[in-house]
Amino acid sequence: MAGHAGDSDGRTRRRPADSVRRHLTDSERRETFEREVLPFVDQLYSAALRYTRNPADAEDLVQESVAKAYAAFHQYRPGTNLRAWLYRILTNTYINAYRKEQRRPTEVAADAAEDFSLYDRIASHREAAAETVFLERLTDDEVREALSDLPEQFRIAVYLADVEGFSYAEIADIMGTPIGTVMSRLHRGRSALQKALYSYAVERGLLARS
Amino acid sequence: MDADCEHLVRQLHAFLDGECDEGWEVALRAHLADCPPCLRRADFERRLRMIVATRCRQAAPQVLHERLVRMLPSWPQG
Repeated sequence: MAGHAGDSDGRTRRRPADSVRRHLTDSERRETFEREVLPFVDQLYSAALRYTRNPADAEDLVQESVAKAYAAFHQYRPGTNLRAWLYRILTNTYINAYRKEQRRPTEVAADAAEDFSLYDRIASHREAAAETVFLERLTDDEVREALSDLPEQFRIAVYLADVEGFSYAEIADIMGTPIGTVMSRLHRGRSALQKALYSYAVERGLLARS
Repeated sequence: MDADCEHLVRQLHAFLDGECDEGWEVALRAHLADCPPCLRRADFERRLRMIVATRCRQAAPQVLHERLVRMLPSWPQG
């Protein structure tokens, strides 16, 4: 009851805790944004590259997302999950704007891969312990392409989980879907990813066709 | 493959995601300590995830960093 300490104006001076940013000057807010948000640009770009599949679009997507974050920065509540907030903006911006131009008919391909396990394929015809040696021989491009070629919803879910380490609940929030949908997208996306890596390995002669 | 191994195979991704409920978490951990074939499977999946994660991380071009800092003052603030 500190507000009652002999001060009749106490009540009107109280402010909600999350209004702090509204009292920053423009340049203070810009400094805060630069300090807190710009360090995420590399991570956001990395995600944008997998989402859009090309560097020029990835740069545009990051720039548009950072501009949106800047415009909405007063809505971000200090102390909450800034990284997830930024990924939500990035992911929404991508889904709303960029995908229209690059829809690809790959949704069907992942259905067929629903239960593919790379480990089971390798373990069935390889010496024990050779499995991880094989993984090291995949090139950067093969791994990136395998992820980039997944259908959009699977690609986003797998990226957020396996590269960014977001929890199911965070991914559900970022993608605006129920947790059950996230789990199903992860399951099917990881299967399809492993299937793609398997076929690259067979093509390159790292594995015999089984 | 016995029933414990089958549980592990079914739950492995949730387990590696840290999304198993506590009972399963303890049971799967105990099984892994006790079953070399399942441990090898789990290690493979862990390794694969690590490879995907490290190879898919790419830094933004320096020009993008510079452009953002330069453009910031011209953007509308909320």
